[in-house]
Amino acid sequence: MTETKYLSLAQQVLEKSKDKGISLAEVFLVNSEELTIQVARQKVENLKLAQESGLGLRVIVDNRLGYAFTSDLSVEALNKVVEMALHNSRESVSDTNWELPAPPSAYHEMALYDERIFETPVEEKIRFAQEIEQAARAFDPRVKITERTAYQDSRYQICIFNSLGLQAAYRGSYCGGYAVVVGQENDDNQTGFAMEYALRYQELDPIKIGREAGQKAIRMLGAKTIPSARMPVVMDPYIVTNFLGVLQNVFSGEAVLKGKSFLKGKEGQQVANPLVTIIDDGTMPGRLGSSPFDGEGIPTSATPLIEEGKLMGFLHNSYTAKKFGLKSTGNAVRGSYKGTPEVGITNLYLKPGPVSPEDIIKDIQKGLYITDVMGMHTANPISGDFSLGASGLLIENGEMTRPVRGVAMAGNLKDLLLDIDMVGNDLTFYVAKGAPTIRIKSMSISGT
Amino acid sequence: MMDKKDIARILERAMGHGADFAELFWEHKVTTGISCEDNRIERINSGIDEGVGIRVIAGDKTSYAYTNDLSLQRLLEVAEVAGKAAQKTKSSFQALNFTTPVSKLEFTVEKLPDTVDIKSKAAKVMEANNAARAVDPRIRQVSVSYGDVIQKVTIANTNDIFVEDTRVRTRLSVNAVAAEGEVIQTGFQSVGGIMGFELLEENDPASLGEKAAQRAVLMLSAQPAPTGKMPVVMAGQAGGTMVHEACGHGLEADLVQKKLSVYAGKKGEQVASPLVTVIDDGTLPKKFGSLRYDDEGHPTEKTVLINKGILEEYMYDYQTAREEGRESTGNGRRESYKDRPIPRMRNTYIASGKEDPEQMIKELKYGLLVTAMGGGQVNTTNGDYVFDVAEGYLVKDGEILHPVRGATLTGNGPETLQLVERVGKDLGFTIGVCGKEGQGAPVSDAQPTMSIKELIIGGTGGPGNGQVKIRRV
Repeated sequence: MTETKYLSLAQQVLEKSKDKGISLAEVFLVNSEELTIQVARQKVENLKLAQESGLGLRVIVDNRLGYAFTSDLSVEALNKVVEMALHNSRESVSDTNWELPAPPSAYHEMALYDERIFETPVEEKIRFAQEIEQAARAFDPRVKITERTAYQDSRYQICIFNSLGLQAAYRGSYCGGYAVVVGQENDDNQTGFAMEYALRYQELDPIKIGREAGQKAIRMLGAKTIPSARMPVVMDPYIVTNFLGVLQNVFSGEAVLKGKSFLKGKEGQQVANPLVTIIDDGTMPGRLGSSPFDGEGIPTSATPLIEEGKLMGFLHNSYTAKKFGLKSTGNAVRGSYKGTPEVGITNLYLKPGPVSPEDIIKDIQKGLYITDVMGMHTANPISGDFSLGASGLLIENGEMTRPVRGVAMAGNLKDLLLDIDMVGNDLTFYVAKGAPTIRIKSMSISGT
Repeated sequence: MMDKKDIARILERAMGHGADFAELFWEHKVTTGISCEDNRIERINSGIDEGVGIRVIAGDKTSYAYTNDLSLQRLLEVAEVAGKAAQKTKSSFQALNFTTPVSKLEFTVEKLPDTVDIKSKAAKVMEANNAARAVDPRIRQVSVSYGDVIQKVTIANTNDIFVEDTRVRTRLSVNAVAAEGEVIQTGFQSVGGIMGFELLEENDPASLGEKAAQRAVLMLSAQPAPTGKMPVVMAGQAGGTMVHEACGHGLEADLVQKKLSVYAGKKGEQVASPLVTVIDDGTLPKKFGSLRYDDEGHPTEKTVLINKGILEEYMYDYQTAREEGRESTGNGRRESYKDRPIPRMRNTYIASGKEDPEQMIKELKYGLLVTAMGGGQVNTTNGDYVFDVAEGYLVKDGEILHPVRGATLTGNGPETLQLVERVGKDLGFTIGVCGKEGQGAPVSDAQPTMSIKELIIGGTGGPGNGQVKIRRV
């Protein structure tokens, strides 16, 4: 879809809304393309090409919110979407906090689009996925099965128009690769996973992805459970970003308003160890979660959430900000054109510390280095309780000695934040969440 | 609905570069969502998503392309792109002669969602909310979420299959938050099925709300779960997360064929206690995971996977069945036109046994009684799985003691199934959305009351001894 056609569509829907007597309307348009290539045994098993566009309409009528969406952009469908949004607003509650943002003075200039991704021929992208697999298998002859290795890219255009004159549009793209391979030895099968996503094609390294997946599968071979005990726990950056995924709900202004965040009312208090600083920043150059504006057209920003252990504030969209008597932090996020802009994250990361991961492990007499967890989606962001299946490596006298699987680790996020007693210097980003290696003073590990 | 002649042209174009199989999946989905929080209807969202996915298989290569620009010209272009991506040496292409297979599941939706106004739906949402709030002053928040979908599909392929179907699903879920001092706990309850608005006339939203709120309040008095290995009784009402994770995923043919499952190569072998029979059935009336046809146009069926401990069958879609020169079991499912079908569960359950569930609890010397399971996850490669205990109690000498919170049970699929010691005569279904390869699929699962010799419980309470007050449930 050309930019011009796009803008005229948005304009049309605003006109139609106005004709229906809707004074506050917001049109969100997205058009995207994606390519996925999956390889196993050096053969292209699946190749997926996609094009999708859609439009979402948010209206505020008599302080009542209504939303409707359509993937069909014909005139009839656009008329229908206006009807549906209006209709849906009538049964919603009246609330004076609903508002649409006025046009901001300016947006950040950002380089989010890499033409080179799309100039690269498909054959080369297939080779990319094949090279990931070769590197995984070359790492060790015991890497015997490839679940899949893959190359992916996507480009998209986003446009937001509202009846207050806000008109914002940008285009972006990203690319990446991942590998899931299995190591085999004496009837034992263990999985290794690695991924890398970037804004620019030249930042990706298939060899690195493949080697990492191979290494992770091999180091778990022969894993066994251990007896139950309390012990210090070290988490690799990927596991920490998994925890950030649960914590993002706790930082949401929406959750706070609804009494669903255990950090409610704790602004200014020490809620984490002084080593802990957590920031959400939608303006970081080169990061996948960056964009000039959020799902309402409000410029993104850097929002400190926890600074040296103190709770600084929460993430907001225009609604939650108004209820707090604050300004939006530019954290209205939309999963797609099918949903209203809800509070979410841009780039969420735990700031690195001064220690190398090796030094973190060096001081541990007996502990567990966690490399994989199961059931993170069952962690409860409201109560903070979590209990997860875990696997990793046993640490004895400052060294990783043998692989461990089939244990459970349990705790509460509140305690976890306070019990972080070392933060590594190896900040690593996985898509839009980043963290270094961390150590937890002591956790309950369940085994035999 | 799309025109048959156009579909034939598109499939022909997809085969143009030489292929073994081409398929078109057209979908038109109308959804409505209503959410209530803070005691009021906050958001009502509805919309239309329509698109076409074209799949071409040539040898062992699959290409998939989708678009939601539905002009014939664009669809022919997409078919061309998909065909070219999969191409192989020219193969002969027979003219299509579409036929529709017969479905084994016949039912009628009584009240189509698009014939019921938003006001009536919102009223049901408020009923659930009000009932939950009335349970206890310690209830701090109640979130009610209602969703319905009317999904029309046309599935046509070069094996002459042509299926048109309308799937209707409705669900209602309640999440209650209770708080006392610094302790916050939650309770969740949901209901759903291949039904329209009658779902909420047959299942009272108020009692759904009450149950969720009661669970949240109950959990306030729960103690941290113990740690280590212990015997477990799973109650029939707890749902079937365990069977879904401990063996369901491992019996999906794509994982089996890639040797990514501990159950690979074990057909005909004893993989579970003789007390265990596992069934995946897409033809159960009203159940959330039921379908007349799967997403490849294959009629669904009742598939016995494990019969009295012996592994008899895996779950197949068209592609995995073709690999073995056999027929699909009707387990080919996809989230939408944006996804290629893969083998997925429908309604998965362990068949009831003969034992009296109450007796099974009475005869538990010391262990955990699980009365509600939450979510779970599995690593099919080594069979390790976990599931969350949404509600559970410590039991000592047959007496139900205090509730426990924050517990996950972890085990190894094949090991757990061998450790099943007793199977009750009851059966309780719960609904869920199962995730695999980034695709969500509505499913349901069930288990009878079962005694498991031992599982690892992941709590924070240390080894327990259960000297506390008794609570009857």
